[in-house]
Amino acid sequence: MGKTYFVGDTFTHVRECDRYRPTYYAAASGDFNPIHIDPDAGMAAGLGGPILHGLCTMAWAVEAATNYLGDPGRVTKVRVRFSRPVAIDDTITYTGKVTAIEGGKLTAEIAAKNQKGDDVLKGAVIEARV
Amino acid sequence: MPIDRKYIGKTYGPTVYTAGLEKMREFAFAVAGGVPSMGFSGSTPPADLNPVLYDTAAGAQSTYGSVIAFPTFCVTFAIAPFAMAVADPEFNINLLMLVHGEQEFEILDVIHPGDVLTTLGTVKDIFEKAAKDFLIVTTETKNQHGNVVVRGTWTAVIRHG
Repeated sequence: MGKTYFVGDTFTHVRECDRYRPTYYAAASGDFNPIHIDPDAGMAAGLGGPILHGLCTMAWAVEAATNYLGDPGRVTKVRVRFSRPVAIDDTITYTGKVTAIEGGKLTAEIAAKNQKGDDVLKGAVIEARV
Repeated sequence: MPIDRKYIGKTYGPTVYTAGLEKMREFAFAVAGGVPSMGFSGSTPPADLNPVLYDTAAGAQSTYGSVIAFPTFCVTFAIAPFAMAVADPEFNINLLMLVHGEQEFEILDVIHPGDVLTTLGTVKDIFEKAAKDFLIVTTETKNQHGNVVVRGTWTAVIRHG
């Protein structure tokens, strides 16, 4: 079987942070930090309300890559910098590009922007076995 | 007050976590836009979710031989030493001023249901930059076979009040 991968391949993925996503991700990940699930705590922290876990924003970047790869077991490395919080009702668009394939290792760079065009991740890179 | 650099090298753990099929499914469902429950919400997976992340038959037929965890499922257990570090009373960190700055995972093997995962963490670096404190913790997780399955680099950024 097999999908063929090429340098220069691009892929996109869109996820919305619906009202309950931070609560659902908290339940799945175990991170119940109040800034993610309690609007008052999000306000007190100066964030304007609850924010999504950075690690969920990161997971969606991985999802963008695994949807392209067709196999979630191939990912060997993930690296991101969290540059802006994701708020309730934000829609994040992930745009990936394969920058290298060498020695069975694929490298993709991924941009993640909210609906205003602001980067929510910077320097996001995923590596995978191919 | 900046965190004292004398704590570089301090270790946390080991912590031990047993990966469970339902937790692995719940994590995959939550990331993919679903509800992390196989009960209240029924067992219908979110659209486009790869069956190897939840379907035991599909997992058995895959090259992995079982359902596998979503690649970043490791956050559920590998975060333990990082969580201990940021809550370490010796660091006196105001958690409301803390943000997760950067994250890196090196994934060396997939995680199967029943895997027993032991994680040890080390304070790798502490520094101050642009009126913020940086605390970097590295973690290494081994499975029950003694193989390293994931290495993490966790960066906390603490804004000064």
